[in-house]
Amino acid sequence: MQSSRLASLRRMQFLRSWEAILFFVFLAILLYNATRVPAYLTVGNQINVFYLYAEKIIVALIMTFIIINGEIDLSVASVMGLCAGVLGRLLEMGVRGEYAIAAALVTGLLCGLWNGLWIAYARLSSLIVTLAGMIMFRGLVWVMVEDRSITNFPAWINHLGQDAILGPFPLSLIIFFVLLIFAYIVLHHSAFGRYVYVIGNNREVARFSGVKVQQIKLILFATSGLISALAGVLYAARLGAMRSSTAEGFELEIITMVLLGGVNIFGGSGSLIGVLLSILTVLNLRNGMSLANITLQQQTGVIGALLIFSVLVPNLAGRVRAELNRRRFARLAAEQTAPAERKEVKAESK
Amino acid sequence: MTEPILELRHISKRFDMTQALDDVSLAIYPGEIHALVGENGAGKSTLIKIATGVHQPDTGEILVQGRPVVIHNSQEAQALGIAAIYQEPMIFPDLNVAENIFISHRSRGPIVRWNKMYQDAREILAKLGVVMDVRQSAQGLTVAQQQTVEIARAISLDVRVLIMDEPTSALSLHEVQQLFKLVRSLRDRGIAVLFIGHRLEEVFDIADRITVLRDGKLISSRPRSEATVEQVIRDMVGREVEEFFAKSSVRLGELVMSVRGLTKHNVFTDVNFDLHRGEVLGFAGLVGSHRTDVALALFGIEPADAGEIVIDGKSVHIRSPQQAMELGIAYVTEDRRKFGLVMPMPICANITLPTLPKYVNGLGLIQRQKEMEVAEEFRRRLNIMTPSVMNTVERLSGGNQQKVLLCKWLNVQPKVLILDEPTRGIDVGAKVEVHHMINDLAAQGIGIILISSDLPEVLAMSDRILVMHEGRQMGIYTREEATQEKIMAAAMGHPEAILERQA
Repeated sequence: MQSSRLASLRRMQFLRSWEAILFFVFLAILLYNATRVPAYLTVGNQINVFYLYAEKIIVALIMTFIIINGEIDLSVASVMGLCAGVLGRLLEMGVRGEYAIAAALVTGLLCGLWNGLWIAYARLSSLIVTLAGMIMFRGLVWVMVEDRSITNFPAWINHLGQDAILGPFPLSLIIFFVLLIFAYIVLHHSAFGRYVYVIGNNREVARFSGVKVQQIKLILFATSGLISALAGVLYAARLGAMRSSTAEGFELEIITMVLLGGVNIFGGSGSLIGVLLSILTVLNLRNGMSLANITLQQQTGVIGALLIFSVLVPNLAGRVRAELNRRRFARLAAEQTAPAERKEVKAESK
Repeated sequence: MTEPILELRHISKRFDMTQALDDVSLAIYPGEIHALVGENGAGKSTLIKIATGVHQPDTGEILVQGRPVVIHNSQEAQALGIAAIYQEPMIFPDLNVAENIFISHRSRGPIVRWNKMYQDAREILAKLGVVMDVRQSAQGLTVAQQQTVEIARAISLDVRVLIMDEPTSALSLHEVQQLFKLVRSLRDRGIAVLFIGHRLEEVFDIADRITVLRDGKLISSRPRSEATVEQVIRDMVGREVEEFFAKSSVRLGELVMSVRGLTKHNVFTDVNFDLHRGEVLGFAGLVGSHRTDVALALFGIEPADAGEIVIDGKSVHIRSPQQAMELGIAYVTEDRRKFGLVMPMPICANITLPTLPKYVNGLGLIQRQKEMEVAEEFRRRLNIMTPSVMNTVERLSGGNQQKVLLCKWLNVQPKVLILDEPTRGIDVGAKVEVHHMINDLAAQGIGIILISSDLPEVLAMSDRILVMHEGRQMGIYTREEATQEKIMAAAMGHPEAILERQA
């Protein structure tokens, strides 16, 4: 009996959660688009919706971990650019593709370790460390590539980046879905994921409980570097080209998707389900707007408004609830203290 | 007799469950240094906060020069001539001395006249007989100098009642003497000083009148000439003993932990004790005795600089909480919110946090079922009032939160359990349950260190009591020889006071 009450309680909580709101917004957008555009709900169109954003949503997965942990990584897009640059330059120099890709991934890992060491062990603010990283890594791309465009990729790399390799799915989407499942299990079902939440909620409690806080932060940022490198390679392969400005500004879109998914910017709460729903919502919204001939610039405005909305709604709801609680308590307290007799204790003072 | 400058009449104040002040009346006269003493939590700070407008009394009235007033905030208190100086001086480190002195002045015009300000600052400091460069940045000032700046600030505001909350705790002996010289010169100029202190020696040195608070009540108020150290100590400790579950005698087992010469520079020095299986070793002391810092050193949060810790016959250097846990040490913090529990997370996740790897299966996944079972078991054993162990901790009452915190550390199955103020801020019922549990744990052969500011609790629960005063160990008393008076005298840095009387 108790478990059924609990289940219904949890259902109620879900209905009031941001995830639920997102789910209905997503459904509404999907239906609206489907009625206006005939071929909207076809597999082909849906894959296309995802394909154009595959790299960003891959990075959004690790960004979810980092923000829940109470940190942020602004350097992801620059790492993507840098790793695409390493790949491009090495290919230009005639290095074999496999080695060039490996070198690009190692570069990303090193970038992540660099950020992570400062953040975990020197306890510097991740906002500042990764802002510096964002500028520095982008600077390195410019030094390496200058204002050229590198396009002479081997055919197999272009093929992997651009063609469907498993049924209708391109490699980048397969990677996304595999990583999504893996990330979900790690974040929501492993000890590591539990530690990520605990540290994000209260770093001191984690430390006092013997959690290796610094080690976990280092792992997160190193992984962020590695995943960003992977995304950079996929992006370059999809475009079949790279330039110094490759992936510039992506970090904000990535962070937007994570926050829109209900992840608390101060850490401690959020879920990958929310982030997945946010990804679905944003991609379908953008796709729908594109089909309705709304320009990219105007789309950006709509996404911005949605982000404010995502912070505002839970916030307002919370404040209303707190105010109601406060009033109830005040009433209860007044009722309790009124009849209670005042103790008259004489002080022994002379 | 002159009229009191500040008078508090029948002041009462309640915070949730604790009666912080209960019908306290106090009169402060110009040209008098009035000392206020009492245990931790006796209500001293609340009284100051009411006098400076930080809190409003529930009942009672405040009179300034015989006129009833209502003080809403510290600005209004300042306007009435009441200012307070705290342990940690409120100094803006990036401003210079003169700017700090005049920081609260609102009526010096829209434009800063620097020369006038420097000149005024110099005059005030000269009046106080202090030599200091007014253009010097406050950054490099010592605590004593910062206090001087604060006093100068109060003087510049034409203060008539100066409240000093434990101003000497961070000062050296020489600096204390300088400060007292300054305070006496203020008194001689007709300013009333309310001095809160917990070094009895100092209180008897400076005060004209000594008032003792205990459990929010005014116990005694005597001119210094009529007061004795023993009397004051007895007034401080004469608490009603609540329903206590006194420690049942357990035959002490073998030595589990032995600490020799444990030292952390500028925090605590030369702490020595042995802890046996089944023993409860009480740690008594007042605010600033650094008992918690000793515990943090033992748990590896803030490792000690010197000294030896021997556990089960092996000498160890504890450098991290992980290591301390492996050695069988658990530390139950005094601050649940900051260091103890993750408030928005479920009870069961909090309980299993230190031992999480034990709940992970071969694939690296947490076994929720096993977690729930363990939490459920603890819920029954400690009688935690909650419909489900999946509920978040923040929704529990203080007492139940404390029980969850205890479960979290019992689940580690420690050999040495350090309890830091385990019954603070919880209701009497929960308190008794915690006392029961301490007894049970000792009977199971765990060595327990019980840090508590609640003297009757320490006396009732401990086999031996270690008393600290400002980072120094004043002695270890057995259950038979310990009395409230002896412990309090030692905690105030005066272990001889009571012994002499008895001799």
